[in-house]
Amino acid sequence: MTKELEQKFAKELELHQNIIHKVCRSYTNNEAAHKDLFQEITIQLWKAYPKFRGESKFSTWMYRVAFNTAISLYRKTKRNVETTQIYDNLKELEYHDYDDSADKQLKLLYKAIYSLNDIEKALALMYLEDKSYKEIAKTLGISEVNARVKMNRTKTKLKNILNP
Amino acid sequence: MSMENLESLKDLWKNQGESKIRYSQNDIHKMVQRKSSSIVKWILIISLLEFILPNLIFLFTDFDSTRIFYEQYGLSNTMLIYSAIHIIVIITFIYVFYKNYRNISAGSTVKILLGDIIKTRRTVKYYIYYNLTIMGIIGLNMFYAVYNSVSFQNSLETGTSMLMIWVISIILLSLALLIFWLFYRILYGFFLRKLKRNYAALSNHEEL
Repeated sequence: MTKELEQKFAKELELHQNIIHKVCRSYTNNEAAHKDLFQEITIQLWKAYPKFRGESKFSTWMYRVAFNTAISLYRKTKRNVETTQIYDNLKELEYHDYDDSADKQLKLLYKAIYSLNDIEKALALMYLEDKSYKEIAKTLGISEVNARVKMNRTKTKLKNILNP
Repeated sequence: MSMENLESLKDLWKNQGESKIRYSQNDIHKMVQRKSSSIVKWILIISLLEFILPNLIFLFTDFDSTRIFYEQYGLSNTMLIYSAIHIIVIITFIYVFYKNYRNISAGSTVKILLGDIIKTRRTVKYYIYYNLTIMGIIGLNMFYAVYNSVSFQNSLETGTSMLMIWVISIILLSLALLIFWLFYRILYGFFLRKLKRNYAALSNHEEL
């Protein structure tokens, strides 16, 4: 039974792994930490999987567990790059390395998200994923009004980082 | 594409390709077998040590001399009562801790999970505070028994101020308890700093 469940889980996770990679890339700043966080999210997903009854979509549920792991459960093993350094990198990329390729823009966006605090990161990700306020509120466990207020602040902050 | 308009970033986000790091089903099977190194696991380990360690001191005490000491100053019954209370309190704390610990679920909402972890750790905080209080009470009780004993009174030089002895004793006791308390505050803060900050960031009145 467990074997079957594990196979089903691995299949679903392989299919939806990009969601977790997006979360990992937003919450970490190097590949080793990304892999470390992915590992921990996978363990937490597996631990919570028997309780997942399909009351929400698998991907929605994955989001929640991934955020929970990144925000509350994960303990960073390596020191992260100072925020100021990220801002410097951002400017550098913009002024010296600027081109219109989507890849570069995406890198800038991820760097900007990384410089937000843990809760703002979750808000920014859910905004980019076009999640409804209802879903955002349900994931974070706050009221929709509160979610809207926090989302507006996060958007302003993100805008200011991207357009200094 | 301009970064000015946040709406346009959604397209950029949606069109991003697959992550460069990819895992196969086989990799996932291997990951599932590994042990978690989450903060909750560390809280469990540290908390259990905190439950056990204060009581381990008894193992290193010389039972006979302690018993003789208690008998000499008429503390045997008092200490027996303290021990009984202590055992009941420990069992209650461990029960509450275990109940809170079992509540922790990665499938909860972000705010509930943060709250549940903080609550679990808070149980241990109260346990430590209880320990410090009981240590203070037992300490005072012992001072009282010893200072009022005939043997102690007889050994005093004439003119020695009892008030002075009490003041010094209480200062030393408070200092010892304060050091324990400070040490614990640092340990407690070390685990909860990030969680408390995130919990505050989710509540209504906090500035993001």
